Amino acid sequence: MAQHAAKGARFQAVTANRLSDGEVVYWSADNRWVEGFTEAEIADGADAADALLARAMPADFEAHVLEPYLFEVLEDGSFYKPASVRETIRAAGPTVRLDLGKQAGA
Amino acid sequence: MTELNLVIDGAAAKNIWHYLDDDAPLTDAPSIITLTRLKAEADSLASRTAPLGVILHADGLGKTDQGEDVRELAPYIDQLALVALHFPIYRNGRGYSAARVLRQEFNFAGELRATGDVLYDQWAMMNRCGINAFELADNVSLETFQTALGELSGAYQPAADATRGALWARSGK
Amino acid sequence: MYRYDEFDHQLVADRVSQFRGQVERRVSGALTEDQFKPLRLMNGVYLQLHAYMLRVAIPYGTLRSEQMRMLAHIARKYDRGYSHFTTRQNIQYNWPALDKIPDLLDELATVEMHAIQTSGNCIRNVTSDQYAGAIADEVEDPRIISEIIRQWSTFHPEFTYLPRKFKIAVTGHENDRAAIKLHDIGIVVKQNSAGEIGYEVHVGGGQGRTPFVAKKMTDFVPKEKLLAYLEAVMRVYNMLGRRDNSYKARIKILVHETGQEEMQRLVEAEFAKIDASDMLTVPQEEIDRISAYFAPPAFETLPAESETFTQAQAADADVARFVRANVVAHKQAGYAIVNISLKPIGGVPGDATDTQMDVIADLAENHSLDEVRVTHEQNLVLPHVKLDDVKAVYDALAAHELATANLGLISDQIACPGLDYCNLANARSIPLAQEISERFADLDRQYDIGELKIKISGCINACGHHHVGHIGILGVDKKGTEFYQISLGGAADENAAIGQITGRAFTEEDIVDAIETVVTTYTDLRADGERFIDTYNRLGMAPFKERLYD
Ligand code: HEM
Ligand code: SF4
Repeated sequence: MAQHAAKGARFQAVTANRLSDGEVVYWSADNRWVEGFTEAEIADGADAADALLARAMPADFEAHVLEPYLFEVLEDGSFYKPASVRETIRAAGPTVRLDLGKQAGA
Repeated sequence: MTELNLVIDGAAAKNIWHYLDDDAPLTDAPSIITLTRLKAEADSLASRTAPLGVILHADGLGKTDQGEDVRELAPYIDQLALVALHFPIYRNGRGYSAARVLRQEFNFAGELRATGDVLYDQWAMMNRCGINAFELADNVSLETFQTALGELSGAYQPAADATRGALWARSGK
Repeated sequence: MYRYDEFDHQLVADRVSQFRGQVERRVSGALTEDQFKPLRLMNGVYLQLHAYMLRVAIPYGTLRSEQMRMLAHIARKYDRGYSHFTTRQNIQYNWPALDKIPDLLDELATVEMHAIQTSGNCIRNVTSDQYAGAIADEVEDPRIISEIIRQWSTFHPEFTYLPRKFKIAVTGHENDRAAIKLHDIGIVVKQNSAGEIGYEVHVGGGQGRTPFVAKKMTDFVPKEKLLAYLEAVMRVYNMLGRRDNSYKARIKILVHETGQEEMQRLVEAEFAKIDASDMLTVPQEEIDRISAYFAPPAFETLPAESETFTQAQAADADVARFVRANVVAHKQAGYAIVNISLKPIGGVPGDATDTQMDVIADLAENHSLDEVRVTHEQNLVLPHVKLDDVKAVYDALAAHELATANLGLISDQIACPGLDYCNLANARSIPLAQEISERFADLDRQYDIGELKIKISGCINACGHHHVGHIGILGVDKKGTEFYQISLGGAADENAAIGQITGRAFTEEDIVDAIETVVTTYTDLRADGERFIDTYNRLGMAPFKERLYD
């Protein structure tokens, strides 16, 4: 499992895959896993990121998700977007099947 | 003597063995020593009459990548009443081959014990390779152990147990 | 084809209920992910980017029509209406829910299929020649020994926690279509001067980070002793293979570090011990029982020529092209082997929809003596089609975008799932395959270029076989951007070779142009009748490099 938190990244969010069906999920500001990247809580700075990851991984996290990790996001006007191609694809779905994944419902 | 949740030949058993550090004095109590010590003290151990066991490490204790070679036990096999195979992590399956060599090449008839990271889903395979004693986690019941052993109703291939394997059994061999 | 007996059925059923229990223990929290992962992997369940992925085994690439229909049904019911055929004669579902997988596996078991040992550090699905039993000049149908190996390796108690995964491939023909020299063990069926069947065994091939062509371990192991020999190889590997570094854990590294001769000595010594016990000598009755399942199907006696077939080609240029590219001579007079390309221009290599799979199942049932094959190049085969029926088969395929006449040509590419699906990827593979396919869409140009195998992997694990592509493409990641490295001169057949890297990698924008440069370099420099690989072997890297980087 690759880790994607870029050293020196300013903004980061926490993602994982849901245990029951593997769906990509994000840790949200109201402390739960949500399906949409837009609802992900964005941490500003390394300390905030560590705290965010710690909140996303309570003792029983494994009962809900697999392998939570931090990844870099970038400011995009008044929004945020994932920095890497990989996280962009996770947030949307396969680029070769626009009818599938989260992008399909959008 | 450590209290262990021990199963031998499918039944709960009491542990009578001590794992000895290399510098601990050897007494007449049933003792499990390292391969290093077995080789180093071979001469004095030759006259030992009290039960002797050895622990074989699958990860070379961090020194090498290959672990200890079961065939180094060959000269001592008649002296040994127990071999403990240490599984540093369940993913390290070197001990399965060690078990088969002990049972089928050396015809070792003593206790063959699995110790270390020995989990539910490995017990049946270990059992088929000739391991007959299992150090289980404290919360594992004997029923759980027996369920695990019975999950698959048969086998295709022979190993170190009595199962002949379907490739042979079908033609009555 | 092999049919399960009660024992086979029971064991698969046991395995599904065992896995159901494991899933329940994972969901209830009794198993951590770290403990569950090897168990799910041993049952073919991966985690990809968007969802779980389930890999189902198609042993030695042979399917009956009802099995193909079940694969379609599963794509519809548990997935999103399609699935992906892989280079290891497996099929992958990209979106199943973990808690539904035990039900899915129950349904699969009704047609004698499973996902056992399609992942994990165990002996994987045994692969073989897609033309087995259909091509002329076969020494023996390789599926016989493949089935024996499948059974022996299934739930092998000693070899379920190996240092790393272990792949075995078998060919019964001197033209190797199973890439056997790129497997941990590659087996060639041989006949000795006494007329007995036995096996030449190659060990230590593989791709990934450090590719190797397998080394020959022995010229001839008698049939009934092959399992003893394989067990010897496996035991040497399990005892001596490295476990400290997963990149050095495959048997290819052991063979490389130990040396071919020493490895041979170790294996022979182990083999002598196992053989002396006789415990793995397969009884003749069982060999006969299994062989009987692979006896030739009920071919009709037909003339070697078919008027219908000849006329169909004369009447329709598309049919003629299809025959030229995708239809191969059969050993039985009046029959043909029909390849189904899963590489439509601009499509996703290896993907098939549920409808397409149903169509193929029907064609197999009605026109191919109930059989379909899967190839390591991610295509399908109808192995036993009457010449008289080829036109009808073509029409049915063409109606479902399954008749692209590009077998072995530049648009018949292998591509791994890459960053569109795969958790380990550095770069996307599929969009690149699509762009290359579109760039060379013109079939006449493809025929002019001739045999050319492009193979694309999205990372160094090499699932897309890039090391052995005539042109290999490897996706690399540079600071979050996708780049592509080209290698030339690889081959996966009986002359297996690892390709050489041309030089620095290309951007996503430049890579298709670079491929075109390689291709035109070849067409400019080729001698009469030379394939790409021949020209490369004659001229080497220099002319290609010059044009690529000047
Ligand atoms: C979830 C998706 C996949 C993952 C995580 C995955 C993982 C891997 C890894 C880690 C290796 C390197 C093994 C090693 O060098 O020890 C590998 C090799 C390979 N994989 Fe995959 N793979 C995936 C999908 C596929 C697919 C779709 C195919 C077929 C198209 C495939 C076929 C192969 C082959 C042929 C090799 C090379 C075998 C060798 O090294 O000898 N894999 N895979
Ligand atoms: S080669 Fe890499 S990217 Fe492609 S499927 Fe294999 S692991 Fe994934």
